[in-house]
Amino acid sequence: MSVYGGDSWAREAQHRKRKVDDLMIEGVDSSIYKKLSSGNFACLVCPTNPVLDSPTMLSTHVSGSRHQAAELRRKNRDLAKQEEVKKRLALSDCVTAKAPANTAAKQLKSTSEPLIEQARKAVLDVISGKVALPEVKPTAANLGRPCVGDNGSNAEPVGVEAKLKGVVREVQPLNYRLHQERELKFTAAGWKRDCHGRWFKDENVEFDSDEEDPNIVLNEST
Amino acid sequence: MYLYSLTLQQSTGILCAINGSFSGGKSQEIAVARGKVLELLRPDDNGKLQSLLSVEIFGAIRSLAQFRLTGAQKDYLVVGSDSGRIVILEYNKEKNTLDKVHQETFGKSGCRRIVPGQYLAIDPKGRAVMIGACEKQKLVYVLNRDTAARLTISSPLEAHKSHTIVYSICGVDCGFDNPIFAAIELDYSEADQDPTGQAASEAQKHLTFYELDLGLNHVSRKWSEQVDNGANMLVTVPGGGDGPSGVLVCAENFVIYKNQGHPDVRAVIPRREDLPAERGVLIVSAAMHKQKSMFFFLLQTEYGDIFKVTLDHDNDRVKELKIKYFDTIPVSSSLCVLKSGFLFAASEFGNHSLYQFQAIGDDPDVEASSATLMETEEGFQPVFFQPRKLKNLVRIDQIESLMPIMDMKVSNLFEEETPQIFSLCGRGPRSSLRILRPGLAISEMAVSQLPGVPSAVWTVKKNANDEFDAYIVVSFANATLVLSIGETVEEVSDSGFLDTTPSLAVSLIGDDSLMQVHPGGIRHIREDGRINEWRTPGKRTIVKVGSNRNQVVIALSGGELIYFEVDMTGQLMELAKHEMSGDIACLDIAPVPEGRQRSRFLAVGSYDNTIRILSLDPDDTMDILSLQSVSSPPESLLFLEVQASLGGEDGADHPANLFLNAGLQNGVLYRTVVDMVTGTLSDARSRFLGLRAPKLFSIVVRGRQAMLCLSSRPWLGYIHQGHFLLTPLSYETLEYAASFSSDQCAEGVVAVAGDALRVFTIERLGESFNETAIPLRYTPRKFVVHPKRKLLLMIESDQGAFTAEEREAAKKESFEAAGMGENGNADQMENGDDEENNNPLTDEQYGYPKAESGRWVSCIRVLDPRTTQTTCLLELQDNEAAFSMCTVNFHDKEYGTLLAVGTAKGLQFWPKRSFEAGYIHIYRFKEDGKVLELLHKTQVEGVPLALAQFQGRLLAGIGPVLRLYDLGKRRLLRKCENKLFPNSITSIQTYRDRIYVGDMQESFHYCKYRRDENQLYIFADDTVPRWLTAAQHVDFDTMAGADKFGNVYFVRLPQDVSDEIEEDPTGGKIKWEQGKLNGAPNKVEEIVQFHVGDVVTCLQKASLIPGGGECLIYGTTMGSLGAFLPFTSRDDVDFFSHLEMHLRQEYPPLCGRDHMAYRSSYFPVKDVIDGDLCEQFPTLPMDMQRKIADELDRTPGEIMKKLEEIRNKII
Repeated sequence: MSVYGGDSWAREAQHRKRKVDDLMIEGVDSSIYKKLSSGNFACLVCPTNPVLDSPTMLSTHVSGSRHQAAELRRKNRDLAKQEEVKKRLALSDCVTAKAPANTAAKQLKSTSEPLIEQARKAVLDVISGKVALPEVKPTAANLGRPCVGDNGSNAEPVGVEAKLKGVVREVQPLNYRLHQERELKFTAAGWKRDCHGRWFKDENVEFDSDEEDPNIVLNEST
Repeated sequence: MYLYSLTLQQSTGILCAINGSFSGGKSQEIAVARGKVLELLRPDDNGKLQSLLSVEIFGAIRSLAQFRLTGAQKDYLVVGSDSGRIVILEYNKEKNTLDKVHQETFGKSGCRRIVPGQYLAIDPKGRAVMIGACEKQKLVYVLNRDTAARLTISSPLEAHKSHTIVYSICGVDCGFDNPIFAAIELDYSEADQDPTGQAASEAQKHLTFYELDLGLNHVSRKWSEQVDNGANMLVTVPGGGDGPSGVLVCAENFVIYKNQGHPDVRAVIPRREDLPAERGVLIVSAAMHKQKSMFFFLLQTEYGDIFKVTLDHDNDRVKELKIKYFDTIPVSSSLCVLKSGFLFAASEFGNHSLYQFQAIGDDPDVEASSATLMETEEGFQPVFFQPRKLKNLVRIDQIESLMPIMDMKVSNLFEEETPQIFSLCGRGPRSSLRILRPGLAISEMAVSQLPGVPSAVWTVKKNANDEFDAYIVVSFANATLVLSIGETVEEVSDSGFLDTTPSLAVSLIGDDSLMQVHPGGIRHIREDGRINEWRTPGKRTIVKVGSNRNQVVIALSGGELIYFEVDMTGQLMELAKHEMSGDIACLDIAPVPEGRQRSRFLAVGSYDNTIRILSLDPDDTMDILSLQSVSSPPESLLFLEVQASLGGEDGADHPANLFLNAGLQNGVLYRTVVDMVTGTLSDARSRFLGLRAPKLFSIVVRGRQAMLCLSSRPWLGYIHQGHFLLTPLSYETLEYAASFSSDQCAEGVVAVAGDALRVFTIERLGESFNETAIPLRYTPRKFVVHPKRKLLLMIESDQGAFTAEEREAAKKESFEAAGMGENGNADQMENGDDEENNNPLTDEQYGYPKAESGRWVSCIRVLDPRTTQTTCLLELQDNEAAFSMCTVNFHDKEYGTLLAVGTAKGLQFWPKRSFEAGYIHIYRFKEDGKVLELLHKTQVEGVPLALAQFQGRLLAGIGPVLRLYDLGKRRLLRKCENKLFPNSITSIQTYRDRIYVGDMQESFHYCKYRRDENQLYIFADDTVPRWLTAAQHVDFDTMAGADKFGNVYFVRLPQDVSDEIEEDPTGGKIKWEQGKLNGAPNKVEEIVQFHVGDVVTCLQKASLIPGGGECLIYGTTMGSLGAFLPFTSRDDVDFFSHLEMHLRQEYPPLCGRDHMAYRSSYFPVKDVIDGDLCEQFPTLPMDMQRKIADELDRTPGEIMKKLEEIRNKII
């Protein structure tokens, strides 16, 4: 207590109280309750979502039998869900990935965020060149130049490259990435696409006078 | 996250200063308020200002006053602070502390307009004190003595008047009549009622006298009279026989003498000739000097000119008021005239100065007088003058001030051991770039080349009672050189020292004989010139020596120790031999304790990584008292004795202690306490000093023993205000050193490095940084470091000033005019004008000529910090001023690194914020980055206050718009924008694809740029409307910020929210998520909160020690630097939070502000431990230290060790 009177002891007391509260809550897993704007706590586990006034009450509630039972139920449910996710993931992996050797290891990691993990994996595969993407190429080309006739142009560059280098398969994935990167560059520079896939300038964006036109550039490159 | 907050450099600015005799007697001290620090300064005999005491009060000091009870010899200090209490302090000379005599609560805490504390006035006879608020409230306390002659204070008497604003108060000297206080007041009650504004425009200031009736114990309004509406300050005029009594009212352009029942005596303040007609002249600081027969005032104007004001009076009637030009010094916040003939000027911005009076302005000079005041139709006739060089004052010392720090960066541009802090400081013509390096400043007295490369150096006195050293002895690989110290230092050959051999030690032994130890033996030179030589047995040589005044121990090769002692006749007698197990690495003998014949302890370091303490007592000679093993072989040993102290000039209450210091070969300094009785070692501390094994030397600093450690850089261990400090010196690597004392240099150090002998002194003890200042042209705003070339690029701007060319032209013109004046009237210009023409008045001292407030000047500077040369300076034209800058590297554009500068044209803040245009300039670097060339300039629709590079493009915050630009041929090309920011963007930081935007009034907004959509999304913001002044990116989810109320806080995006945002593969969520009430969909959490008590202007994440953890460094407007260090262990957090808690309870702050309330002034403090409070632990009385230590289950020594450790982690 302050020697000089004033209101400082109250503050200290409040501080101590808060400290105690913090300590009470520390042991409780933060995912099972929610702090309400009123300062009360709502239990997220029990089906009735009871609202408790203080951290002390919350901790008592958490150790209570009804809550424990509800928690157990929830855990079981979560486990079942995870199982399901794993199963589906394993299935989807079988379809997309061609290297099933390390799927088991990946599955372990990917339990929490399956989607992002999957996306990451796909990117990794593309970058490392594991996927040759023979089936993706025509679609990408289609996107790039939808206005040009499909048959001739599709075959032509491949043919040229084949003539020049003799190796088609190895160049292809890189080409695809470059292509995508270029497209991104154009979107970032303010180009947009209409419903026909044609590029046009966003009216809110400024362009240099000699700016490259993606309609031309992307066509030429592929 | 838990943080430890520590101030690295206390505030350097001064808000107010007063002088008085606080220690009693004749000596005078200056008490200065540096925001939250109260400091006592005193000029020493050499005219250097020394800091006696500095106390952190954990509150804001708003006003200071001193008073003296009638007949007393000592002044008391009254402090008005934000604690809602009046505090009277007394300086305790013996303990060197400020003791709280009284503390009376009168109101709420905090700086509120209605709670007193802003103004303090003292009855000149010391009978009462008035404490006033800005508005309404004024309280008067009666001061008296009780029967035991102790100071008593009454309950407060109210002198309130509602609906009044107070501008200034002062005591009126009316002898021993009832005390009277004067106040400048403005009644706004009518103006408040009148919606038309007519009453407001007619509101009139009044001078009011309040009388304290000591008989009735009541305060009454005695007299009130109109004064000029420009009145801003009151100065007490001596009365009661010494003068006419009454007050001087300082108003715009005038000084008016006023008293009850006395007609006004008015004189005009002379104005500078180049001042625009619409600008008035205001007095900003005043000092009164009173001697037995006369008194005068020194008033300083807002332009820095000091005027001497004298009153010609006949008893109570004032006949004439004269204002004479005195001198010009930088604008100060307070002036203090000391009785010893010094003037202390606490500068508003820039370094504070101590001047000595050469004259008191008796020579003729420009003078305005009430007798010659002419009133014409256009008003009073002004008097003009031209500032000149200092005539009456001469500057003898200055204290560095960083106030205000505008921007700061920590970087190791010079590739030294520790990084340097580059800070932009000051304002207008006094602005500077200061390079701060951790360490003490030294001043080099002499450097002389020697004929070879010396290995060691010593200094010796001829007699123990001599004040100064007689010889400097330098040892080379195979010779010894003896230099005698006199008027000059010269080589001598008659000293008796053997010069054909290297020396191992040279010292005074006994009272008056000298000893030289060389590998072949000991040479003992008696006072009468007799020489005794002791030779080593056989072919063995001496390898190490330890000695004090009476004892010598030598170590022979092979590990034999031989102990000698000086006997009654002054002979050196061999007393004992001892064979050690192996070779000896180093030796030292403790100094002879006061009143004893010999010291008991010999420390021996061996190559087997041990240090042994051996006894030298006759009954147990060479017994091993204790043994300590260390991490690496010791290289050097030193006993350091700390005398018992009960406080006093420079120390706190502590018993005598003996410390053993050891420099280990791995560069660590190892320090333990030696028990004075048993010789056991305890309380070991170690600290890494550098890459070389530290060599330890005992030197004298401020009359006390201190330790110099020479590792890869020199360090000094000394005691300052009760703390043992170990700080690096800013000097090159030294080989060997010794203390040096001569006529010219009382406390110096002589050292050898390379083939040179160096003599230097150590300055400004107690400071943790030394600085190199580079002057700048205008107020610096921001700077960036050129990433590759290591150049500093900075922008400077000032409002209401002329450009350099205009100034040059005006200067030339005025000098020409002055020249013509000289031809016409030679009498007036008596001092050589030619000289003045050659070095025109420095802007640093005289300030820039003033222009209209709408005019801006600004420049962009490229500065090479290594050479301190400006390689390029571009002055902006057309009333444009720069506000933001960054370097940017546009992707696939040919120019490489470019500089982007955001400017505004014709910016005005009053009556409404407006501007003509905003621009972003793009400059390219030429000639190795040394020169800038404008590429193009793009007009934008707001003021660009923030710029940053982002993914090879430029992000600009233009008013409330965040915009992404790409580089075009003729201009910048707008690529993408987001207009949803609330006020004005002041900071932009980026990390990967996230953008952290700081809004001027609404804290942080987290944004994300999506390349595939070319869109900027705000996905999270803060819930608290913070007025942001500084921002720093801490990690992917965390930002640190500072607001303008002096809080530092950290916000963090909750982990789950962050994950959710990152894993949004379709991108739909971020696009369609909506927040409530126009806010962002997610909110950041505040994880740390701390009130620094000073506006933080810059934050940076950096490490100040090599290999240390990163901490957050901040700089403030008051010119202080601090750091937040994250704790790495839970135990430390527990320990320090408990220590903080105990200190809060046991040692409440001096000025009555509750510590916890202060640190929680705006938001409750969260997860920050106040290191400044914890570091007050060593200054507590011993019993309280023990009590706290007991409660923490530790010893006081352990607590201090902890404090030292954590400080060493930061700096």
